[in-house]
Amino acid sequence: MADFKTELGKVTLKNPVMTASGTFGYGYEYAELYPLDKLGAVVVKGISLDPVSGNPMPRHAEITSGVINAVGLQNPGVEEFINGEKYLPFLRKSNAAAVINIWGKTINEYVEVAEILNEQNGITALEINISCPNIKEGGIAFGTDLKMANKVVSEIRKVTTLPLVTKLSPNVTRIADFAKTVVDAGSDMISLINTLTGMVIDIETRKPVLANKIGGVSGPAVKPVAVKLVHEVYNAVDVPIIGMGGIQNGSDAIEFMLAGADAVAVGTAVFSDPYAPLKVIEEIGQYLDRHNIKSVKDIVGRLESV
Amino acid sequence: MLTENAEIISNTKLKDEYYKVTFRASDIVSENILAGHFVHVKISGLEEKILRRPFSVFNVVKSDVLEIVYKVVGAGTKHFSSLEPGVKCNILGPLGNPYTYPVNSEIPVLVAGGYGSAAMYLIAKNSCNPGILLIGARNSKELILIEEYRQLGFKIKIATDDGSSGHKGLVTDLMEKYCKNQYKIYGCGPNPMMYTMVRMLNSRSVAGELSLDHAMCCGVGGCYTCVVKVKDGRGGWKYSRTCKEGPVFKSSEIYI
Ligand SMILES: Cc1cc2nc3c(=O)[nH]c(=O)nc-3n(C[C@H](O)[C@H](O)[C@H](O)COP(=O)(O)OP(=O)(O)OC[C@H]3O[C@@H](n4cnc5c(N)ncnc54)[C@H](O)[C@@H]3O)c2cc1C
Ligand SMILES: Cc1cc2nc3c(=O)[nH]c(=O)nc-3n(C[C@H](O)[C@H](O)[C@H](O)COP(=O)(O)O)c2cc1C
Ligand code: FES
Repeated sequence: MADFKTELGKVTLKNPVMTASGTFGYGYEYAELYPLDKLGAVVVKGISLDPVSGNPMPRHAEITSGVINAVGLQNPGVEEFINGEKYLPFLRKSNAAAVINIWGKTINEYVEVAEILNEQNGITALEINISCPNIKEGGIAFGTDLKMANKVVSEIRKVTTLPLVTKLSPNVTRIADFAKTVVDAGSDMISLINTLTGMVIDIETRKPVLANKIGGVSGPAVKPVAVKLVHEVYNAVDVPIIGMGGIQNGSDAIEFMLAGADAVAVGTAVFSDPYAPLKVIEEIGQYLDRHNIKSVKDIVGRLESV
Repeated sequence: MLTENAEIISNTKLKDEYYKVTFRASDIVSENILAGHFVHVKISGLEEKILRRPFSVFNVVKSDVLEIVYKVVGAGTKHFSSLEPGVKCNILGPLGNPYTYPVNSEIPVLVAGGYGSAAMYLIAKNSCNPGILLIGARNSKELILIEEYRQLGFKIKIATDDGSSGHKGLVTDLMEKYCKNQYKIYGCGPNPMMYTMVRMLNSRSVAGELSLDHAMCCGVGGCYTCVVKVKDGRGGWKYSRTCKEGPVFKSSEIYI
């Protein structure tokens, strides 16, 4: 059997398959189905400084081969996250590698969350979601402005020794520039893609379907876009990459790895099959065995030229 | 909670747009299914529809038969109605927070609209006392499962929008005289009907348990797409997940 051990800089995971933030709750929701430590890592839903109630309903719609969502980052806030029995304490007990996705409405909020989490045991890495609007800068997403993306990562870098993953927004013209600037700012890894912004209209009422009017598109529909962006980032920077966007099975994951991802995350696919991440691990193994490849790391970036 | 590839034993039209599907699902049935629990069904053969569809458990028979009664409303349920015996669908369940059964001294009053009479059937089946079904629909063609309730000794009161059967008007019009202590009120139906019930029950300080219906992605509490406003205990509201804290809520908890 192939070797699944996955080294992402200082972080070592037992396999390269994680969950995607926002689709797997805080882990406990799925723990009734299988032990969380079967996963490479559990990536939790985005945590902010204060509790956030999120957007009005409806918050999602099904689209052809995907979903669009505008949940609005509902979460219990960092204090409840570190103290509430079902959140971080539960993850610690589960023995799963825990990646904590964080976000803020201002740079200060990001920094405070990172500072508080830095004091906690049992955290494998922080994943910085920069696809949120900066309310101090007119609501432009941190992740679509090079200077703000750099600033938020470098300020977080100052307050934590935890490994940092910066999660890039696909809603930019040249993603490689964003990859370079967040690595310059001290990011140890990059994950991508977050959702692609989109809109769905009910033609009978002539209204947008989502209460928030626009939302983020995910699922199989976005996969080719995500694979291409992963490949661009792979060519631009030298840090480990976590690829995601529409992964449903082992073949999808292998595509991302050939394009340059060291690890992958499975998001929307858990809605149709909660076991999807485990199925992806198993099917990666079958591919490696079938091609006589000894270690999963030996396929990373091994794309042949046309 | 678990998943099972369950085989369809039969899938037949009940009435109008309503169908009853029977699955062989011994693993799920072994999970102690209670009234109000729902299952999240991956309707086979619709690969571009990536989401499961939530359906209340209508009935369990013996140790391995699970029944759902569903209405054809869109592409998913339309395809569901075309599936033949022998086809397997992946079912996730049982999910959600169920109804609590009436105690000995309570007479259950079930207020049903749409698929509500299916979602509350297990209450009737497990009640010590026969109770009363108040059932509403647009017209008499859409009244489902009345005979099944009659067989359990339930009294039936009907309301239809067009007056084609029973009271002409809303089913909640029939509720007033049961807002008393010896009755235990349950509801399942379209959300506007549920919110009318919340107003009636709360203004009379009568307890009730209502099953709410919201579109869902994960069904297990992981995505926060299915939320509903509930009281936060401090005069305000907070969002709770229909799939996890619900679908059954106490009427006194629901925030309007
Ligand atoms: C807890 C719960 C229990 C339910 N029990 C039953 C039942 O016993 N019998 C029954 O007939 N129906 C039931 N429903 C409603 C049923 O889930 C929808 O009618 C069904 O999902 C529609 O799917 P569709 O593909 O035909 O419709 P489409 O409109 O094509 O579906 C598009 C999307 O919207 C969702 N959706 C559309 N209408 C509803 C709705 N009313 N509720 C939730 N999601 C919706 C679908 O799941 C899908 O994700 C229940 C819903 C919930 C939340
Ligand atoms: C319902 C939902 C909620 C999400 N919430 C978050 C979040 O809180 N933080 C975040 O960084 N990404 C969030 N995402 C994005 C996913 O983590 C992932 O980047 C994206 O969905 C693409 O992967 P997928 O196609 O496998 O889902 C969310 C996605 C969905 C569908
Ligand atoms: S459907 Fe995912 S939290 Fe309810």
